Amino acid sequence: MSREDTGWGWRGVQLATFLVYIFMFAPILVVVILSFNASQFGGFPMTGLSLRWYEKLMGNEAVLRAFHTSMWIALITALICTVLGVMGALALVRYEFPGKTMVNTLIIAPALVPETVLGVGLLLLIRFAQQPRSLLVLVLGHILLAVPYVVLVVQARLIGIKRVYEEAALSLGANRLQTFREVTLPLLMPAIVASLLLVFTISFDNITASMFWRPPGVETMPTQILSMLKISISPEINALGTLMIIVTVGLPLLGGGLARLLGRSAR
Amino acid sequence: MKHVTETRLAALRECYGNGDLDRRTFLGLAAALAATTGLQARWIGPALAAVTEVRFDGWGGVVQEAIDKYAFQPYTKTSGVKVVQGTFGDESEIITKVKTANPGDFQIIHSSGVEYYKRYADGGFLTEINEANIPNLKLVMPAMIEPFRKITPKLSCAPYDYGTTGIAYNTKVVSEAEAKEKGANLLIDPKYKDKIGGYGDMITRVWYGALQSGQNPNDIKDIDAVWAKVRESRDLAKKYWGSGAELMDLLAKGEIVVTDAWSGRIAALQQQGHPIAYLDPPGSYAWMEDMLVLKGAPMAECEQLINFMLDPQTSIAVAEGQNYPPALDPGKVEMTEKIKKLPAFDPTGSMKALTFADPNYWAPVTDQWTKQWDRIAKGA
Amino acid sequence: MSAVPDRRPWLLLAPVLSLLTVLLVVPIAIMVVFTFYTFVTAGVEKPILTLANWREFLSDPYYHGFLWKTVRVATITALVCAVMGYPAAYFIAMTRFRHKWLLLLLLIVPFWISFTIRTFSWIHILGEQGVINVTLIELGLIDHPIRMLYTEGAVVMGMVHFLLPYMVLNIYVSLEGIDRNLISAARTLGCTGWQAFKEVSLPLSLPGLLAGLLLCFVLAAGSYVTPQILGSSRDALFGNLVFDTIMSELNWPLGATLSIVLLVLLGIISVVYSRYMGLSQIFKGLSR
Repeated sequence: MSREDTGWGWRGVQLATFLVYIFMFAPILVVVILSFNASQFGGFPMTGLSLRWYEKLMGNEAVLRAFHTSMWIALITALICTVLGVMGALALVRYEFPGKTMVNTLIIAPALVPETVLGVGLLLLIRFAQQPRSLLVLVLGHILLAVPYVVLVVQARLIGIKRVYEEAALSLGANRLQTFREVTLPLLMPAIVASLLLVFTISFDNITASMFWRPPGVETMPTQILSMLKISISPEINALGTLMIIVTVGLPLLGGGLARLLGRSAR
Repeated sequence: MKHVTETRLAALRECYGNGDLDRRTFLGLAAALAATTGLQARWIGPALAAVTEVRFDGWGGVVQEAIDKYAFQPYTKTSGVKVVQGTFGDESEIITKVKTANPGDFQIIHSSGVEYYKRYADGGFLTEINEANIPNLKLVMPAMIEPFRKITPKLSCAPYDYGTTGIAYNTKVVSEAEAKEKGANLLIDPKYKDKIGGYGDMITRVWYGALQSGQNPNDIKDIDAVWAKVRESRDLAKKYWGSGAELMDLLAKGEIVVTDAWSGRIAALQQQGHPIAYLDPPGSYAWMEDMLVLKGAPMAECEQLINFMLDPQTSIAVAEGQNYPPALDPGKVEMTEKIKKLPAFDPTGSMKALTFADPNYWAPVTDQWTKQWDRIAKGA
Repeated sequence: MSAVPDRRPWLLLAPVLSLLTVLLVVPIAIMVVFTFYTFVTAGVEKPILTLANWREFLSDPYYHGFLWKTVRVATITALVCAVMGYPAAYFIAMTRFRHKWLLLLLLIVPFWISFTIRTFSWIHILGEQGVINVTLIELGLIDHPIRMLYTEGAVVMGMVHFLLPYMVLNIYVSLEGIDRNLISAARTLGCTGWQAFKEVSLPLSLPGLLAGLLLCFVLAAGSYVTPQILGSSRDALFGNLVFDTIMSELNWPLGATLSIVLLVLLGIISVVYSRYMGLSQIFKGLSR
């Protein structure tokens, strides 16, 4: 085990790390603090504490609509992506077949292709097919973006699940579907929950591609924030940001906590 | 472990005979089907409800707030028809959206002038208003209706208000005398480097480039001289704003002290107490705004709404709220003191003192000049 | 194993593969075809094949300048990420702090926070009424606010802020995998801490570092939202060019051409990388 040096080398590393963490979190903290700013403008100096921006936010119809849209899309994307991804991961891990590397690369491809290019590509596809932009296209696009991550996460977990369990079930007469449902699936649960959360976050937060795909008149949460930003940094945006931070950080923490709890009780 | 699995599997096999499995699959499928139908219904719902909803897209900020407060909300109260609102900062942006949308996605647009009207016409997005359903149209200045009729004898819009893009400056930094003296050249004055702003739209930039190079904006002889002036201004500018609200924000915060600006927004800033003054240099860019109805919109409801908006009481209230003089003929409708004091107000109703963009001049060059402006904005 | 090729994996893969084919492979093919279409006016193009778009791209220095600017900014971003990220990753990997999971969690948390928020939060730091300027003015160190926002530096800062966790994770995963015995051996043989690092840890962590550099570079080069929020119009990157060409100018053929250029550029870099390093390293980082 490497000895932690107490020399200035290690101290330097400690300091650097500390600064990096500050760099990462300071802007976020500023957003949260400013969301309670009583002043008319979004910046400093703060003139007092107030919840009025949260109130104003609640009355902002456009924001509420965008939130709704994002939630629905994220939910649907999460469900479909997880199903597709689990199936794909199963195939990749449990089977050998010719062309496996190609398939693997294809599945990971959406994560490697620049999102801007994906955005243009899908738009071109529907233009070519003379279809209008629609919510369906937006959802399909989100699924495209998130599927690689599901496959990766489930794959990682699946590799760790020994085949012995499945083989045991099979040898006892269960068919493949039963084996999957009764043996593999429960063991896979943590990865599935993680996938659902991951895809939800990816879809909810997606902006680069969504800016291309959104049908006219439809805004998702991030695109709505972007158009609000083009006007000014109104403190409403800070309030919105804070709420989103609470949701996107709180949810996985909750999920993780729940998973730990469930994991412990299953023992 | 193996024992447990064994017993479990044995139990499984007993319970999950073929019949039960099929039922489970069936239930699962049914649930999925219901979910998808429910979701689709969710999205179809609003589409079917369109008849009780009208979509309006406008310039946002204090202007749209005024229209909402004095026109839309009273209208919804009396008619029950809801007005769903969207905003844009730049008319090119909304035209692009209309081009890529389906008929009916966008219904009423607070359009900014005859030069834009022609673009909608050329693109085939216009429809025909039944003027019998809008009796208040008779109160509108003929000088404002004529230019639109020249393009489409059957109107697809109702002129609503007008304004100008002049120069706004922070009186704490720039004196009135200096502003009057320099006029449009205030925007390329090196003295205010990095404190200058401007509207990021091609027409405004080229218009002012023309004024700065001493040319007639409706008949530019040397476009390269104009681009040179545009580049000059770009190098001195801190930011090009993309919306009225951004304009107000930048001026109010003092981030910029000189900019071309929209008359109504500056009036609003002044009413809020900011030290901003406004001036229309000779040849200043004026525009006639209209409520434009697009093809595919629910005509009856739109005509009803527009007639409501043109009602003198409503129109005047909106005008005072958004700080743009209404299109109503001052000869036929008595204007309030506040309106008479608004920048750009024309008491004669003839619109002769203001310089408007000539749609026939601007329409053919728009694509090309927009591309060039985009490049220059990015540093070319 | 049965002699008949097993159809099951293909059945399982069918949905995902068909999705990817339709939404990824076909669009890119269409994109290539579109680059040869003739542009008529905004939103209108004719399926008459022409090389005009490619000619325009290859001959106009405007586009080359943009390509160069994008590569430059993305490289700077990646390098800054590496310089900032390495010490942090090293610390997390080597520390004997009992709650290492907390450090890792704090690293992952920013991932969850919306990208848009993380980006615009910099306006509060760098703006004229932002933390830095207000503090400096309060302290009397400057009279007028420094112009930091809407510059290239702001764009780099914003991108580094977004990409740093990717870099740190990649390096961390790599460092974590180093057999500690090697380092102990080096120390026993007389190396100082620094020497042990230079001779053992650094070389062995290179895969992770390079993976991080590649990831940060590719993500930075393809972005357009950060330049839009934090930069002036002069700081636009190639992604902005693509966005404006397609969404504002509605010039689909040229937009397709620019997209293909971006794809090919970043693709070549990725392929060169994977030739030497293999992509498995990145997957390790991503699947965390």
